[in-house]
Amino acid sequence: MSTSHVLLGLLAAGPRHGYELKRAHDERLPRARPLAFGQVYATLARLHRDGLVAPAGQERDGGPDRTAYALTDDGRAALDHWLGTVEPPMPYVTSTLFAKVVVALLVADAGQARDCLIAQRRAHTQRLRELTALKTAPGARLDEVIAADFAIAHLDADLRWLHTTLDRVADWHREVRS
Amino acid sequence: MTFLQARGVVRAYGHTPALRGVTLDVAEGEILAVTGPSGCGKSTLLHCLAGILRPDAGQVTWRGERIDTWSEAARSRLRRTEFGVLFQFGQLVAELTAAENVALPLLLAGTGRRAARTAALAWLDRLGVADVADARPGEMSGGQQQRCAMSRALVTEPRVIFADEPTGALDTLAGEQVLTQLVRLAREQRTTVVLVTHEPRIAAYADREVSLRDGMVDHTGLGLDPALPGGSR
Amino acid sequence: MRPGTLLRLVLAGTRTDIARVVLTAVSAALATLAGLAALTVLSVVEPSGDEGLNSDQYTSALLREPGLRPGVAFALLLLCVPVLGLAGQCARLGAPGRDRRLAALRLAGATPGQVTRVAVAETGVASLIGTVVGLAVFLAGRGLLHRPDADGRLPLPTDVHPAPVAVAAVVLGLPLAAALVSALLLRRVATTPFGVVRRVRTRAPWPWPGVLILAALAMFAAIRPLLLWYERRGAVAPDWLVPTLLVVGGLTAMIGVVSGTGWISYHTGRLLHRHGRGPAALLAARRLAADPWAGSRTFAALLAALIFGAGAAGMRADFQAQAEVTRRTGSGLADPGFYLGAMNLVDLAVVVAMAIAGGGLLVAVVEGITSRRRAYAAQVATGVPRATIGRSLLWAALAPAVPAIGLALTVGYLLVRGVMPAPSNGGFARTVCDAGTELCGDPATAARYTRIERVPKTTVPPDVPWDQLAWLAAGGLAAVLCTVVAGLLFLRAATSVEELRST
Repeated sequence: MSTSHVLLGLLAAGPRHGYELKRAHDERLPRARPLAFGQVYATLARLHRDGLVAPAGQERDGGPDRTAYALTDDGRAALDHWLGTVEPPMPYVTSTLFAKVVVALLVADAGQARDCLIAQRRAHTQRLRELTALKTAPGARLDEVIAADFAIAHLDADLRWLHTTLDRVADWHREVRS
Repeated sequence: MTFLQARGVVRAYGHTPALRGVTLDVAEGEILAVTGPSGCGKSTLLHCLAGILRPDAGQVTWRGERIDTWSEAARSRLRRTEFGVLFQFGQLVAELTAAENVALPLLLAGTGRRAARTAALAWLDRLGVADVADARPGEMSGGQQQRCAMSRALVTEPRVIFADEPTGALDTLAGEQVLTQLVRLAREQRTTVVLVTHEPRIAAYADREVSLRDGMVDHTGLGLDPALPGGSR
Repeated sequence: MRPGTLLRLVLAGTRTDIARVVLTAVSAALATLAGLAALTVLSVVEPSGDEGLNSDQYTSALLREPGLRPGVAFALLLLCVPVLGLAGQCARLGAPGRDRRLAALRLAGATPGQVTRVAVAETGVASLIGTVVGLAVFLAGRGLLHRPDADGRLPLPTDVHPAPVAVAAVVLGLPLAAALVSALLLRRVATTPFGVVRRVRTRAPWPWPGVLILAALAMFAAIRPLLLWYERRGAVAPDWLVPTLLVVGGLTAMIGVVSGTGWISYHTGRLLHRHGRGPAALLAARRLAADPWAGSRTFAALLAALIFGAGAAGMRADFQAQAEVTRRTGSGLADPGFYLGAMNLVDLAVVVAMAIAGGGLLVAVVEGITSRRRAYAAQVATGVPRATIGRSLLWAALAPAVPAIGLALTVGYLLVRGVMPAPSNGGFARTVCDAGTELCGDPATAARYTRIERVPKTTVPPDVPWDQLAWLAAGGLAAVLCTVVAGLLFLRAATSVEELRST
C-alpha cells in the first residue's frame, strides 16, 4: 500500500505535522497496521525532497521541533493522478496463507496438509466471528463497519478457498490411494 | 435439564437418507449455526428440531420432554408458542397485510383482534417496517418481507427461533440488516437461535457452529467446537 | 418442429397434466353424447301426410309428438352447458404448472407459435379422443338400447341416424373449438416467457353483472309482449325470434350470475373481514377479497345447473297452476299429467347437471388447494393448525356460495316467471248438456237439456315452489360442502414439509 499517497490525501484537508498525521492515519484506517513515527517522518522527508509537500510553519512551544507540512500543487497533481489510476486487480497471488498451503502439500503428506488447512480454517472462522461481533455491536461507527466489512469479505473469500481446497485435497488423496 | 436436544436422529425421504444419526445439544440463549454443503441434511435437522418433521429414529427432547412422539396438534401448538420459524421466503400469507401476518400467531392463540394488531404494530415498528404495516407481501421488498416474517416469528416471544437460510433471497446489505437485528433482539431477550446456512459469513453471526456432512455431524472439521472462544458473551 | 417432438413435449407433463388430459377427454365425451342425442331426436322423421302427425313408433310421448321433440333436444343441449363448465374447470387443473413449463420452453428458444402449438395439441388431441370415445359409446349404446317392445314400439329413437355431416361437425368441431379457446387463453404465455407470474387482481369487481342479469330478465319478459305485438298486427313472429331470445337471454343470465359471484365474493370477503372472528375467518376474508374470481371459477357449472333447475321448478309450478285452472274452468291443458311427467324428466336432467357440476367443483377445489400447497406447507410449519386452514377453506367456499346460490335460484325462477304469466282461463260462455250421452247425442233431444253457461275468468297465480327451490339450494350447498370436505383430504398431503423443499 502506498503510505505516501495516503499521507498526501490526509494533507489535502489542510497542513498538519507528523504526529497529527500518524493519528489521523490510524483513526481513518482503523483495521490497517498502525503507522510508526519513523515511517511518517521518513515519508514526509521523501515527499519534501520530491516537492510534493512544503513546510508550512513551525511550532516550538518548549517541546521538540514540530514542522507542519502542506500539500503543494505538484502534490495535489500526484494525489489526483493516484486516485485516477485503476488498481490492477490482483496481478500476482501474494499470500503467505496460499504459499504455506502449497508448501505443505509439497513437503508433507496429505494428512498434515489437511491438519494445516483445518487449523487455518478454525482461525479464520474465529476471526470472522470477532469481526462480525464488532460490526454488529450497538453503536458501531460507520468507518469501523466499513473496515470490518472489508476484512470480512476477504476472510470469507479465504474461507471459501480453504473449504474448496480441503475437498480437493480429500479427493486427490482418495485418487492417489485407490 | 437440557434445553433442546437431538439424539441419534435419523430421517430419510423415500430411500434417500437425509440424516444418519445426528446428536446435538442446543444450549439456552445461544446462537447456533448449522452449516454444511447443500444436501447435507441441515434443513432436515432444523425441521426435526422444530417439530415440523418427525424423525424416523432417534429422539428430540425439549426441556427434558420427547417432542418427536407428540401429536401433530401438540407440536403445532409448540411451534406457535415456544418456537418461531423463519424461512428463506414464503412463510407470509400473500393475501394478508403485514400487520395481519404478524398478528396471526396471536389470533391463533386466542388474543383479541385489536390487541393482536397493537402488538403486531409494535413489533413492526421495532424492526423498522411500520410503514408497510398495511401492505401485502407482494407490495414489499424482500428485506421488508423478511423483517415482517421476523416480527411474526418474534411476536409470541418464543424461546427458540429456527431460521433456515433467512437471508438466502436477500442482497448482502439487506441480509446483513436482517441478521444483525435478529442477533441483537435474540441477545436482548435471551432467545435461542438455530441458524441454518451454507455461508461462512452468515454462520459468523452465531456463537457456535456445527457442520454437517452427508447427514452426520462433521467432527473432522469445525464440528462440535464449544471450545471456540470467539462468540462468548 | 417434427410431430414426434411435438408429441414428446405434449406428454412431458406431470400426473396433474395427465389428470387434466383425462378430464378434458371425459367432458368432451359427455358433451358429444349429449349433442349426438339431441341430433338424433331432431332427426326423427315425421310420418308423411298431414303436418303434426305423431311418430307412433315410440313409447314416450316426448318423442311421438313433433311439437315436443325440439324441447327435448333443447334440454339435451342445455345439459352441455354444465359439461362445458366442467371442461373449463378441468382446463384450469394444473394450469399454472403447465404455463411455467411452456414459459420454460419459450426461454429455451421456442417461438410463440411452437409453444401455442404444444398447448393446442394437448387440448385438441385430448378433446378429439373424448369426442371419438363419445361417438363410440353413442353407437354402442344405440345398438344396446334398440329394444322394441311387444308392439314393436321403441323407448328411444334408435331407428334413426343423425345426419353424418352433423355428427362430423360435433366430433371434429368440439376439439377444434377447444383448441382455439386454449390458444386464446395462452396468449400471455406466448407473448412473453415472464408473463406467467399471475398477478392476482386486487381491484374491486364492478357490479356490472347486475346489468347482465337485468338484461336477461328483460329479454325473457319481452317474449310475450313481442308475440302479442305481432299478433295485433296480424303478422307472424319470425321463427328465430323466440329461440334466440331464450338462448341469448339464458346465456346472458348465466354469465351475469357467474361473474356476479366475483362481486359477491369480494363483498362477502369484506363483510367477513369486518365482522368475522378468529384467524380462520380472517384468512378466508382476505383470500376472498384478494381473488374474488376464484368463486366464479369454482361455482360456474354449479350455478348454471341451479339456474336451469330453478327455471324447471318455475315451469312445474306453472303447469300445476294451469292444471288447477283447467280443473276450475273445465278447459285448457288437455293432459296436465303428461306435462308434469315431462317435468320429471327435466328434473332428472337437473340432477345429472348438478352431479356433473359437483365433479367440476371438486376439480376446482382440489386445484385451489394444490396450487397453493407451498404456502399452506409454510403455514403449517410455522404452527398454523391444519384445522384452521381447513376452516378457512370452508369459510371461503360457503360464504360466497350461499348468496350466489340464492341469486342463481332467484334469477332462474324469475326468468321463467317472465315468460309465463299467471295462467288464466275463462271469461267465455259455453254450452253444457246436462243429460246423459244418449239424450245429448241426439240432436233432437239435445236442445232441451242444453243451456249456456258462463265460465268466470279464473286466474291461478302459480305458487312459488318453495320446497323445490329449497331442495335445490340444499343440494347445491351440500355439493359445495362435500367437495370442500373431500378437498380437505388433499390438505394433509399438500401441507407436508416436503413441499417446502421444492423452490
